Amino acid sequence: MIEFDNVGLQYGTGPEILKNLNFKIDPGSFHFLTGPSGAGKTSLLRLLLLSLRPTAGRLNMFGKDVSQLDKQGLMALRQRIGIVFQEFRLLDHLTTFENVALPLAVRGEPEAAYRSNVRELLDWVGLGHQINARPELLSGGEKQRAAIARAVIAKPELLLADEPTGNVDPELAERLLHLFVELNRMGTTIILATHELHLLDQFRFPRLQLQDGEVSIHD
Amino acid sequence: MIDQFLNRNRADIAIVPRSSIAGRTLALLVAIMTFLSCVTFGAVYLVQNSAVAWSSEVGREITIQLQPVDGEEMTSNVRTAIALALDSPGVGNAEELTVEDSERLLAPWLGDEFDLEGFDLPRLIVVHLSDPNAFDQTALQAKLDQSLAGASIDTHKAWQQKLNAMSGTIVFSGLLALMLIMAATILAVIFATNGAMASNREIVDVLHFIGASDQYIARAFQSRFFTIGLEGGIVGGVAALIFFVLAGVITNYLLPSQNAEQVELLFGQLSLGWIGILGLVLVVAIIAGLTSVTSRITVHRFLAQVAP
Repeated sequence: MIEFDNVGLQYGTGPEILKNLNFKIDPGSFHFLTGPSGAGKTSLLRLLLLSLRPTAGRLNMFGKDVSQLDKQGLMALRQRIGIVFQEFRLLDHLTTFENVALPLAVRGEPEAAYRSNVRELLDWVGLGHQINARPELLSGGEKQRAAIARAVIAKPELLLADEPTGNVDPELAERLLHLFVELNRMGTTIILATHELHLLDQFRFPRLQLQDGEVSIHD
Repeated sequence: MIDQFLNRNRADIAIVPRSSIAGRTLALLVAIMTFLSCVTFGAVYLVQNSAVAWSSEVGREITIQLQPVDGEEMTSNVRTAIALALDSPGVGNAEELTVEDSERLLAPWLGDEFDLEGFDLPRLIVVHLSDPNAFDQTALQAKLDQSLAGASIDTHKAWQQKLNAMSGTIVFSGLLALMLIMAATILAVIFATNGAMASNREIVDVLHFIGASDQYIARAFQSRFFTIGLEGGIVGGVAALIFFVLAGVITNYLLPSQNAEQVELLFGQLSLGWIGILGLVLVVAIIAGLTSVTSRITVHRFLAQVAP
């Protein structure tokens, strides 16, 4: 599904943030992405999210060399990826329902086609009672669950999560992790960036350990 | 409200916030620019209409001037001149401008009490032409010269030319002002749109991350900016219409009659009529269209600059 072949990344003429990355992510797998602050986790996620392109090597995603893709091609690939941000990034002027339905709306699907799916998903993540609430009325945990629901509503093949438990209490963090595990069991490939080691110990999934821009894999 | 008027599917998600400071600024800006454009257009239209009517009226009128000449009986000369004028082709009516008429005309400058009886003034005969093309000024002048001493014809051509030049200058200046306002509108809309896009950068980024195409994002923003442009345009256009109605009311009922006459002389009746109102609607449509096209170009430029 994803293949890094000597991938390097640098911003402008600055130092190389990521160096000689060589690894593969298989479909249906679950990986933690971890490492100290400044190790390059966010840059690696931005590569995977296609908002950056490698400055060296070759990154293959879904069978395509991302360096060769035009904007249209990038957009088509991005529709196969879901993303959960640490800071949620819900749109403040939309309701929970509208935020979650957004990935389907931008694909041109009419509301009638996705209304019941969105409601069902919101019930599944425990937000059925907040369907018409705007983000300002949601708690941190509810916002994160809404963000997760938005990331998975279009049934992405790959789900990227950037510190999804960073802004919630430990108890909720564990519940959210269980949610990701459940999604993985349903077939979604997951890469979850976190620096919370106690969570890593609870779930035995391979770790992509980033250190000084280089990656090592620990099963 | 405009969204509903445009029949947009209410189930669609409003990607761009319906009300934001940047959006309100743009709407206010468009409203002000539309108001200025409409007022300029309306003033140009009124002046042009008034000039055409005035010019046409003056073109249908000539004056025979009889200078006092020793030994000549003025009253008899006036009757002869009127008879000669009425006998000429293309003349509909000819009548003497009496001393009372002259006093009334000069009252604004000389006062109501001023008496012209004691002055040996030239006598004027106002000749209305029923068919200006059939009228032969040279032939009438020849007949007057044969029968009377000191008779001359004034066709008001010099006034007509001055009036045409003045109205032409006003119309040209008005159109120039209109074009400058349009240019200023375009520049202001570019700045306002850039500001609105920058303040909505988070929305653009999120839309990109969830797989929205540039076309989709551009459509959403253009649609919003068109709505803002139309709303602002309608507000500005209606305000301009109210301005002209109020100006008409003030001229007709509140200004002293002499001042009102002077305003009316320049602008005619301060009423736009259906054609003038249609012109205002056209100005509103042009401003809304300009806003839409300008914001479309700005949005595409903005999207081309942000990361894929």
